Amino acid sequence: MKEPIISFKNFGFRYKQQKNPTLFDIDLDIYPGEKILILGASGSGKTTLCNCINGLIPFSYEGEITGTCTVNGTETSSASIFRLSDSVGTVLQDTDAQFVGLSVGEDIAFSMENDMVPRAEMLPVIEKNASMVGMQDFIGHVPFNLSGGQKQKVAIAGVFGNDVEILIFDEPLASLDPQMGMTAVELIDDISKETGKTVIIIEHRLEDVLHRHVDRIILMSAGRIVADMSPDDLLRSSLLSEYGIREPLYLTAMKYAGCSLDDNNLCDLDALELSSDNKERLKAFFTEEREAVKENTNEPVVTFSDVSYSYDSRKKVLRDISFEIRRGERIAIIGRNGAGKSTAAKLLCGIIRPDAGTIMLEGTDTSTLSVKEIGEKVGYVMQDPNTMIVKDIIKDEVGLALEIRSIPQDEAERRINTALETCGLYRMRNWPVDSISYGQKKRVTVASMMAIEPDIFVLDEPTAGQDYHSYTEIMKFVNTLNREYGKTILFITHDMHLAIENTDRAIVFSDGELIASDRVFSVLADPDVISRASLKQTSLYTLAVKLGLDPESTIRHFIEYEREVESLE
Amino acid sequence: MSNKNVGKSLVGVWNTKTIVAVAIGAALFGVLMNYGGIPVFTNTSLTTAMIVPVVVGAMYGALPAAVAAGVGNVIADLIGGWGLWFDWSIGNLCAACFVGLGAYMLMNRFSTKNVVIYIVLCVLGNGLAFGVVTPILTAVFYGSELNVTFIQAIYGSLSNILVEVVVGLPVLYLLSKRTAARTNLEEE
Amino acid sequence: MNNKLIINYTPGPTMMHKLTGFTKVFLFAVMSAAIISTFDIRLLVPLLIINVIEIVSMKPDYKPIVVMFAITFVTVTLVGNIMLFFVSPGVGLTNVGAEHVIWRISDKLYLSKEFLWYIFVFFIKRTASFASVIAFALATTPSEFASGLNKCGLNYKICTIVSLAYRTIPDIANDFINIRNSMMMRGVELSKKASVGKRLKNTVLILVPLIFTAFGKVGNIANAMDLRGYGKHKKRTWYAEHEKTRWDPVIRALTVLLLALTLYYIIRYRIIDPYPVDYWCPWVPREEIQQTNAIDTLFIIKWIKRLKGE
Repeated sequence: MKEPIISFKNFGFRYKQQKNPTLFDIDLDIYPGEKILILGASGSGKTTLCNCINGLIPFSYEGEITGTCTVNGTETSSASIFRLSDSVGTVLQDTDAQFVGLSVGEDIAFSMENDMVPRAEMLPVIEKNASMVGMQDFIGHVPFNLSGGQKQKVAIAGVFGNDVEILIFDEPLASLDPQMGMTAVELIDDISKETGKTVIIIEHRLEDVLHRHVDRIILMSAGRIVADMSPDDLLRSSLLSEYGIREPLYLTAMKYAGCSLDDNNLCDLDALELSSDNKERLKAFFTEEREAVKENTNEPVVTFSDVSYSYDSRKKVLRDISFEIRRGERIAIIGRNGAGKSTAAKLLCGIIRPDAGTIMLEGTDTSTLSVKEIGEKVGYVMQDPNTMIVKDIIKDEVGLALEIRSIPQDEAERRINTALETCGLYRMRNWPVDSISYGQKKRVTVASMMAIEPDIFVLDEPTAGQDYHSYTEIMKFVNTLNREYGKTILFITHDMHLAIENTDRAIVFSDGELIASDRVFSVLADPDVISRASLKQTSLYTLAVKLGLDPESTIRHFIEYEREVESLE
Repeated sequence: MSNKNVGKSLVGVWNTKTIVAVAIGAALFGVLMNYGGIPVFTNTSLTTAMIVPVVVGAMYGALPAAVAAGVGNVIADLIGGWGLWFDWSIGNLCAACFVGLGAYMLMNRFSTKNVVIYIVLCVLGNGLAFGVVTPILTAVFYGSELNVTFIQAIYGSLSNILVEVVVGLPVLYLLSKRTAARTNLEEE
Repeated sequence: MNNKLIINYTPGPTMMHKLTGFTKVFLFAVMSAAIISTFDIRLLVPLLIINVIEIVSMKPDYKPIVVMFAITFVTVTLVGNIMLFFVSPGVGLTNVGAEHVIWRISDKLYLSKEFLWYIFVFFIKRTASFASVIAFALATTPSEFASGLNKCGLNYKICTIVSLAYRTIPDIANDFINIRNSMMMRGVELSKKASVGKRLKNTVLILVPLIFTAFGKVGNIANAMDLRGYGKHKKRTWYAEHEKTRWDPVIRALTVLLLALTLYYIIRYRIIDPYPVDYWCPWVPREEIQQTNAIDTLFIIKWIKRLKGE
């Protein structure tokens, strides 16, 4: 019998500032060479658990530890973080913050520098670790031009500097687009296979992690371990929906079709052995006649005609872009970083002005409008709510723009209350902004835009870094804005679930050009668009191929079914 | 304040977090010095960079505030192509020390008394730094005419004090409100 | 907003670029001391030329440098000189030691040859200082700057502050622009359309989110550093401090020479046998120099004297 490399015995932890413990009764053994997924919604305690392994607790976070946690034979409560960092390497969620060096080589060298390794000895190690993650040609590059995926690779090479035995990945997919996320999952798997190191992945995006095999899944909720089982067993159980974890799309489809979940390899779509009965059910489900989603025929509210833009005269960021958005549409604006989607949004908001072409907003040429005037028609919500919030109290924050515009008291009061009610914040209106969750802050920023009463909302990555619960919460009220107030919604997003479940049309950018503007199911069934926009094929696509069906109509059927279910609710 | 607190408010606690915060403060100083001017008249602007020692001081104490302002000033001069002006950088460092101390005390308790102390420390710090330290250094380093240096120092001090009080106080107020621990919130 | 920042994150190809961080920081420190130590045009001009040669040898993009020189530097000097002319036209006498008036407007306001000499030399001194900063900024990456400072004996934690600050500047600049844009869309007026008081008030609306966003990252960055052993030992090594090139010993030797000359100059000509005034001037022989007390020219002192006298 092997000795566990990590062992929690009756372990608990309470942060100094908090009244109640964050972790309770943790009993967990992890054996050398295992690949473990720790699954859980935000606030379930999964990151705290990992900080207990890598020594940030108690080094950086003071608090009260009960029970014991042993890592590689060392009791963590008394070991120094430096001793633990020799055996545990942690890749943090925020790859940008983790990148402290000013070049790839320097960042990989960081832990060796602190270990006083002479420079001559560093060089071969940097070379070796960089090639392990495929970054050997980027050693001299600066962090500012790297993608999130590349920064993450550097972070992995950086923790390898001290030749650790345990690798912890804290939400490795949070800041990556779907394609990069897939590559990351593959890279982690390759490292785990090639080096035999113990790998712990913390995530709430189950389907993406299951792209490659994991040995065990630990499900956490409210500071406790609620399940410790194989992926197949977990998917068959009802635990996922109980604890707010999104199940894989193909599994949802199987459930809609009334399939039994006893098939082998349920967690791996490629190896999944569908029974003939299940195949029949799925085929029937995907070919059933359904009411088509109605096409929007309202008048256009935004029209881009041959718009071009460049930051400096050399390279154009956008070339001859033309598209229309109709009143009440929900649009996903998709594309990899630097493809031009943020530039298009900035042009719409008037922050930058086109070099050529015109942008019409509700029938007015935006070149005749000031940023402030456009701001009354278009509400732009930035990705990180902290970049928008100024005031201390929720109500004041929502009313800020009205105060600036000197809107009369009673009118302002009315608008603030409507915005707060729509966003489900009315009962919390006198709370301080910093006492609420990230998802609620996000709603505060939308509410503060809503108070200006624009017709169009632009939401930049509204679901980035959100768990399933918070995702559903945000989408629910954005859809209310759309349905009940007829607002037009533009999502700038990488989130494919968002696109499938909550938008009517996708506008796809690649290298400054518009490469698709079509119904979501058509876009997601086009392999060329998918790769150029750094998306990945949804599991519905794979399922359709497996069943010998047309992917486009399969995805369309799925979406139509979901909309039907939604409208019945 | 006990002795321990006095030490903490002056020297700060120099762990990794403080190092990072001071670095970010210095970077913010560099950015605001080059981008964050408030135009007043043609060719003259109030620099908002002076908010950095206020914020760093409020959270980490006087010495971190001074280092953030000193390093930030050197970096701002280097990246902005202003040429190094050691006389003004060192002046800024001295002023930041006083301002940081005032902000730290104000952060502990946002009372009228502490507001007054903060304003007094701003005036005192800037007066001492730009009325004494900078002119002496200017005379020694660059041999400038002192009358002009004094005029520039008076303008510099006044604009700094203006930013530290008119912008700094509301920022500190929001900062102390937003970082305070809350309990007993009830939905209405 | 139009001014570009001079930050050189990737090392360039020329000899100056390739020197080690220590050599560049050492040279810069000694060069600054040398320029500060003297007001003598016969020494300032060679120092200026050395720095200009350094800049030219790096074949930089001259446009931003010229723009910076023109806008930030000349206007600052020009405004200062005009102010100087009105406030202390007698500065030539105090610093150069003589006064040949070429244009007299009134008793208190006149232009002398020595005034022009004073502002000329002062301009050369500032220009030499500006050129040395540009040469340093162009040649040195922030990592070399930090490692070089550490090699010069500065505590490595202070050096990390320097490199980390450079690491976060582009991100903070981005955040600043984004936050300002979003506030403008919410109707915050920052241009001259609003009164100065209003603009100050509105600045708070941008600074608060900027401060929260910027300092919100402290915890994550500190964790990333702690987890990789930052602060483990009293010293650390530097990846950026690369092996010496052929030129390093040469430049270091020249820097040591410059340091020795500077020290000799300071001791010999500024302490043992100081020139009677700060500024040497070709047409004012040493024996004709009139010495005045600089303190007496301060307008505060003048006021006090006048109050006493009357």
